[in-house]
Amino acid sequence: MVIRAGKRKGIQLNKPFRTFFGNHWIELAARWILGVIFIYASYNKILSPALFAKIIYGYNLFPDVFINLIAIIVPFLELFTGLALIIGFYPRSAALIVNCMLLTFITALSINLIRGHEFNCGCFSINSNGQGIFAGYLIFRDFVLLALGLYIFFYRKTRKLCILNFRLLQ
Amino acid sequence: METIKEISILVSAAIIAALAVNYFSPAGVALVGQWDTSQGVITANEKNNIVLNDIEIGDVILAKKLYDSQKFIFVDARSRDDYDEAHIKGAVSLPVGQFDEKIEAFLEQYPPEKAIITYCSGRTCEDSHRLAQLLLALGYTEINVFIDGYPGWKAEGYPIE
Repeated sequence: MVIRAGKRKGIQLNKPFRTFFGNHWIELAARWILGVIFIYASYNKILSPALFAKIIYGYNLFPDVFINLIAIIVPFLELFTGLALIIGFYPRSAALIVNCMLLTFITALSINLIRGHEFNCGCFSINSNGQGIFAGYLIFRDFVLLALGLYIFFYRKTRKLCILNFRLLQ
Repeated sequence: METIKEISILVSAAIIAALAVNYFSPAGVALVGQWDTSQGVITANEKNNIVLNDIEIGDVILAKKLYDSQKFIFVDARSRDDYDEAHIKGAVSLPVGQFDEKIEAFLEQYPPEKAIITYCSGRTCEDSHRLAQLLLALGYTEINVFIDGYPGWKAEGYPIE
């Protein structure tokens, strides 16, 4: 009896939390916010891959042969996963890719923060000089986005406004 | 398994689109860039590449010889603030960002017959190449880029002001 009461109490405590995060409108909002942010982030990089490549060079982390490929592909990965999140095309997998990208960004920023390397983050804009922005703030921002991404990934109920039934391969 | 399949679809779609757009876009870049500063100014090798290696002076001692010959005008492509802080002694300021405003006065003083050497902040900076391109388009014929720029000059202890 006592144990059962305890259990019920636990559920009671978690209920508002669960109702909130179990709400498919909240999940939809999270997907749209993350999707729009990623599409916005990809825009300038797609327009000027040469400048973005130079920013990647500035991170001083990647082998020379990969710099251009990263500059060509990453913006489109951001664009496609952003779109996928918004229209609900494989949203769970899109969130997983987004989370991997965010973890990479966090790692890259952290390494440069730790070694005190000055660089332009190239997160959203490629023209403005990002050197003034403290890397710690950028890392915090990425963690907030990562929280959104993880929530979308672990959401297990029915998702709203998805073209989920679209099956390209069986 | 399903997730792996979905991720492969999303990632391959992004890669195919990225390579296709890069191939057709006028802003596209080569698949491999030039990121080794020992080879000259770094560049992503974009289609309208402004880094011309054959006008580069990659040797500080040679740059000093040309400087001492007094046949060349050294032109500083950096911002006016950087120029005011310190520059190669006797260099003329022509910030590439203010080219349109400043070029008339520059043309009057230094007509296209003059031999010019541009420089900026070293091998990670393309401004000297950008300026060289703009001057070449105006009819200047003898233009070189001193790629080690102000930092390389200063490191050798050559005259600055």
